[in-house]
Amino acid sequence: MTTAVAPPLLEDTQLGPKAGGFYRHQNIWTGLGFGIFLGFIGWLVSHALLQGSNWGTDMVVTCTMVGWVLGFNIGMGTFNAPIRWMLGHDQTHEDELYAAGVGQGSSRYLKFCTDHKVVGTQYLILVLVLFGVGGTLAMMIRTQLITPHSSFLDPQTYNSVVTIHGMVMIIATIIMVSGPFANFIMPIMIGAKDMAFPRLNAMSFWVVVSAVPCLLSTFFLGGVNAGWTTYAPLSVQAPAAMDAFAITIIVFVVSVTIAGVNTIVTVVTMRAKGMTMGRLPIFTWGAVIGGALGLYAMPAFLAVMTMMITDRVTGTSFFVPEVGGSQWLYENIFWIMGHPEVYVILLPPVAAVLEIAGTFARKPVFGYKVAVAGFVAIASLSIMVWAHHMFTTGWAPNLAAPFMLTTELISIPTGIIFLCTIGTLWKGSIWTRLPMWFIYLFIWNFIIGGVTGIYLSDVPADQFFHGDMFVTAHFHYTLLGGAMIGATAAVCYWFPKISGRMLNERIGKVAFWMIAIGIQVTYFGQFWEGFQGMARRIAYYNPHYQAANDMSTAGAYLLMSGWLVFLYMLIHGWRRGKIAPANPWHAKTLEWKVPTPVPLENFLVDPVVTSDPYTYGEGVPDGQEVPEFAPAAEPELVPAGSGPPEPGDVGGAS
Amino acid sequence: MAITETDHGSEGHGSEGHGSEGHGNGPAVPGAENPGGEHETAFKRDQKERLMLWLLIGGDALFLILELFTWFYLRTLNVNGLWNGAKCSKANPCTDGLGNPITAPIHKADPKHAIIIAICTVLAAAFVWLAESAAKRDAGKRSVSTMAGVAYLFMLVAIGWQIYQFQVLPFTTIDGGYASTYEFFMGSTLAHLILLAFIGLGLWIRASKGRYSGATWYRVRLIRFFAVWIALSTVILVSVAALFY
Repeated sequence: MTTAVAPPLLEDTQLGPKAGGFYRHQNIWTGLGFGIFLGFIGWLVSHALLQGSNWGTDMVVTCTMVGWVLGFNIGMGTFNAPIRWMLGHDQTHEDELYAAGVGQGSSRYLKFCTDHKVVGTQYLILVLVLFGVGGTLAMMIRTQLITPHSSFLDPQTYNSVVTIHGMVMIIATIIMVSGPFANFIMPIMIGAKDMAFPRLNAMSFWVVVSAVPCLLSTFFLGGVNAGWTTYAPLSVQAPAAMDAFAITIIVFVVSVTIAGVNTIVTVVTMRAKGMTMGRLPIFTWGAVIGGALGLYAMPAFLAVMTMMITDRVTGTSFFVPEVGGSQWLYENIFWIMGHPEVYVILLPPVAAVLEIAGTFARKPVFGYKVAVAGFVAIASLSIMVWAHHMFTTGWAPNLAAPFMLTTELISIPTGIIFLCTIGTLWKGSIWTRLPMWFIYLFIWNFIIGGVTGIYLSDVPADQFFHGDMFVTAHFHYTLLGGAMIGATAAVCYWFPKISGRMLNERIGKVAFWMIAIGIQVTYFGQFWEGFQGMARRIAYYNPHYQAANDMSTAGAYLLMSGWLVFLYMLIHGWRRGKIAPANPWHAKTLEWKVPTPVPLENFLVDPVVTSDPYTYGEGVPDGQEVPEFAPAAEPELVPAGSGPPEPGDVGGAS
Repeated sequence: MAITETDHGSEGHGSEGHGSEGHGNGPAVPGAENPGGEHETAFKRDQKERLMLWLLIGGDALFLILELFTWFYLRTLNVNGLWNGAKCSKANPCTDGLGNPITAPIHKADPKHAIIIAICTVLAAAFVWLAESAAKRDAGKRSVSTMAGVAYLFMLVAIGWQIYQFQVLPFTTIDGGYASTYEFFMGSTLAHLILLAFIGLGLWIRASKGRYSGATWYRVRLIRFFAVWIALSTVILVSVAALFY
């Protein structure tokens, strides 16, 4: 038996003093410097030229934001490679290694780094920051609603807080799984050395970073008081903050589009030998289909925000009926984006849940092909349901029934995926570790979110519930209770691979129970408010609703406390957690077969896949329990056919 | 999941589209600064980049469809009769009730300018195609760069003419749905042309440095796909704007 000899690690390469070129001098500080400088130039020039014209203020804000975004990305080095390409100065291999973070230590996390693991980690931190911001805004909302006529926030500020809470959370949830895990984990899962386009990968991250200050600046520009949907003509009449909001979305669309393309190309073209499409880990399917759906949804977001900003900045009349526009045009295009976007958020975490369920039940994913078909069906149907958000607007009443039907149809593949999750756990030898707790919570929450969604798809019921707190409770159960809890399970599951350390599960269980109870109390309170008829997005309410609001607010405080404990657990784990073995969960997918920390190009030798991803328990006679696994050990990579099989592995060439 | 055996190499860092064609296992490229720097086959790179391009074009096509949807939606709805400007009268004094002026009747945009721009984009795409053919048959860097240079020239003419058209339109953005959507088409075309010109300039400079030959012609093909798409989308927008006033 001969063991393959691994080549020297790339990260140990000694780079020359000029490796990296401009990248050597660029980091987040140069990004901030250039961003502020070009933002100032944008402000100065537009202010001098346009202030006093009809749309002066809007144009000044737009130019300033565009200047900031361009400047930040120039300073970060986002455009270095395209410009060098254009000038015919290709990057050398040393430049590429430098850009991948070789020899830079932890400073690479503050730079334009092309290593997918660095980008994944950067995304994880960004997502945590965004959830921190969004969560703080959520607590401001609930604090305002403690009493019917609270003076904590004035109505205008309250509306702005509601809007930005919504959009921050939408951005955070879109990238919460596709950012950290589709970047860090997925390439390793499929046996690739990196994403297909490492520079585009880094670009997608830093572009979205540049969007965040634009969004937060809205508070200082008069606030966006139109709700996260920013319906026209409200948004067209909003203060100048709306321009910054639109720029945020346009920049975000660029990032998500690039990331989606990169994910798809990576999976289609970079799989290891033997990693057929039928052997892809289920999480990969979720990431790819979510990415593809994002490619469908994002152009609509781009189109609607571009038209809205031109309505504001140049006086076009897309959405203003007084001058020939139509608010229905806005609503149609917005929801052509809006409903698929819900599944862009949902599919990757749901796929992660299936992935994790298989590992901890020590069973193959139940109905693997059916689940994949379910993802495809959901994605396909989700592009045909947008008008269910417009049942009460008066648009095309004759189409209400068809849209009700398509919406209700989508519950079928959703239910099938749900059954696949249950089937995976059914009669499994369930190993109840922290990720598994969150899977249970996901199942509970997702049932409630899903079932209440069916009510809302029904036209008569929607006529009653539309615009009230029932809807708020429904989508929070779906997006927070479902998607975000699924993502939380993913964080707990892959944390040892990302950080190299284990989480403290005792702290984790405290966080879990606070979160689990907090969600139920918060959102059952909101269902109650909805049943009573309380409208959403209102700063003051009838005292009749106070008991339900008190319940929801108390739950929200518990929920936020739970998230803080969870955050503490992450920080504690990252700094002082026990060193993680390479495969603490005895999982079968490839990311657990590589050492921790993961080498620069992931695999010391290229893997060849010879079996399905979930071969748990195979080879164990009926009636016997799956044997306990030995403490995790580094996998040995050996030439085909010569090594001892792992427990449950099935040999055979692909 | 069992994994076994292996060979070193395949895709890794620096395996991206920008720059450095044909290193490693791919065909060698005269003038490349980093020979042997990468270890990805030319076939694999081409496969990745083509797929990326088709996906991006797919997304852009959806954007184009939404532009057309906007045109036909507003035209069909003709809200308050303001698709192409209101007829002002005593009953309709062309104000919004607050005394602010709103649209008056407007003239159709002269299609000549849009047609010239469309012709330029088609010619630019054609010359990129010729550059690709020249590279494919190893016609020499002078031949490839000449074609690429002419293509770039047409891109610049199209951009210039598009900017000029903004100056000579018989209406402004505030003159109703037709005016708004027409200018949206123009803005969208201009943005695409600027992106194409960036790539076109890169093609020309790189061709002048001899980066494209029989071994690397497929990289020009990628640019040709994009140029043809831009030409096609411009022709579609121009046709709709001209035929469905």
